[in-house]
Amino acid sequence: MRAEGQEMPLVLRLQDVRKVCKDWKTFSSDDPFMIVPHSEANVRSVRQYPIETDPPDHTDYRALVEPFFRRPNDADYQLGMQQLVDEALAAAAIPDSVDVVSELALPLQSRSLARLLNVDDSEANLWISWGTHVFKEGDGVSKGAELSSYIREKFEAAEGSEAHDFFSVLNRADFQGRKLTLEEKHGFANMAFAGGRDTVIHTVSSIIAHFAAHPEGLDFLRQDPARIITATEEFVRYVSPLTAIVRSCPHSAKVLDAEIAPGGRVGLCWPSANRDETAFTKPDEVVLDRSINPHVGFGFGIHKCLGAAQARLIIRSLLQALCNQIEAIHLIEAIPEIEQESSFERQVGFKRLRTSFKLRSSQHF
Amino acid sequence: MARITYITPDGQQVVVEASSGSLMTAAVQNQVDGIEGACGGVCSCATCHIHIDAAWMDRVGPAGDAEAAMLELEDGSTSASRLGCQVPIRPELDGLTVRVVGR
Ligand code: HEM
Repeated sequence: MRAEGQEMPLVLRLQDVRKVCKDWKTFSSDDPFMIVPHSEANVRSVRQYPIETDPPDHTDYRALVEPFFRRPNDADYQLGMQQLVDEALAAAAIPDSVDVVSELALPLQSRSLARLLNVDDSEANLWISWGTHVFKEGDGVSKGAELSSYIREKFEAAEGSEAHDFFSVLNRADFQGRKLTLEEKHGFANMAFAGGRDTVIHTVSSIIAHFAAHPEGLDFLRQDPARIITATEEFVRYVSPLTAIVRSCPHSAKVLDAEIAPGGRVGLCWPSANRDETAFTKPDEVVLDRSINPHVGFGFGIHKCLGAAQARLIIRSLLQALCNQIEAIHLIEAIPEIEQESSFERQVGFKRLRTSFKLRSSQHF
Repeated sequence: MARITYITPDGQQVVVEASSGSLMTAAVQNQVDGIEGACGGVCSCATCHIHIDAAWMDRVGPAGDAEAAMLELEDGSTSASRLGCQVPIRPELDGLTVRVVGR
């Protein structure tokens, strides 16, 4: 494909994608603003951490925030998330018509992020008010600058605090014998806000669209609780909301038949790998009980998604809530979100998805 | 029912009894250190990587294709490697010892 005026090979097969991920010395992430095919220099001002770094620094950076990203493994956190999702779905089911993107997926993503970052639940109200396009230019008003000043204010306000929220903890963090700079902290926060925003929102809206089109699917899930787990992985595979992530080659390199000059780049196409017909039977179908599902929707190797536990918990809780509360979903209007790179377009989730929810007559909480 | 001994990355022995599920779910239910089972057992995350005691390899059996492709690129992978989620608990595994690779 072409990206930023250069030809860039896009790796498509599952095992080839994994091999590139594994070889981080040849295929480096140390290239700020260039983690996706197009440059993000115009939508943010800081390098993102830990994603735009290589070991050994990456290992130490990642370790600083890992405890936050492990919070979803805690049983109480899981109960709280189920409650949050139950309430969000119940509220969305009241009106005759609801936009799933802005009125269900965005609030869910923001409220669950507040839990992950261990900040007050009410903080999410502001994040929700930024709308779904906080990082996009052109499409609506970009709130990127507002996010930047918000993040910086939060770190300033948390100066000297002994609290255990994301901002206070990063202020106190020790990185290789020194404190983090404001730039670095900003880059961590930017990743936490950006990384899991569109990905979660698109996955949630795609799940609702799927069950609107396949009403039998919810009954199928209700028959066996283990299907909540397999269906979660299947939606991550099938939706693959992150289209491509890019590595840079400091030295000349080879990927399959493609020669890459020093400074050249290589794209990793997660959705393609996740539909590799040599690895997945019926790759283009949603198979809710797919029991072997070696997808790379959350990446592979040292940079594999830090937010995966959170994303999985949101999706599992959503599927559980749908099974408990919803009889049927009626589609009113679907406007797909089309992602554009210079060489391709791809639908990822929805700009708007209007539906009405029909509640089950007896609900099982 | 099978008694399984897990040797954790820091050398602790944890003995677990299970009659259903997999070597991953039995470990997760008993909080065996180094086994996370993040994907829930669909062979996607490799957070249940174990080494099977050599004497037991025949009884446990080889990795399937999807699993072998994952293991090929996992750190600490050897011919004794399996993903716990792909090994169902069954009575003939009674007495098995596995080493948790962890990360
Ligand atoms: C369905 C939802 C999600 C998908 C499909 C997804 C996908 C991915 C992928 C493919 C990578 C690997 C990038 C690479 O190899 O360079 C990644 C990394 C990352 N993701 Fe996610 N993600 C999701 C949700 C989240 C959430 C909710 C958060 C945070 C709140 C998050 C934070 C991160 C971070 C911090 C990294 C970088 C890890 C590192 O460099 O070590 N993600 N994600």
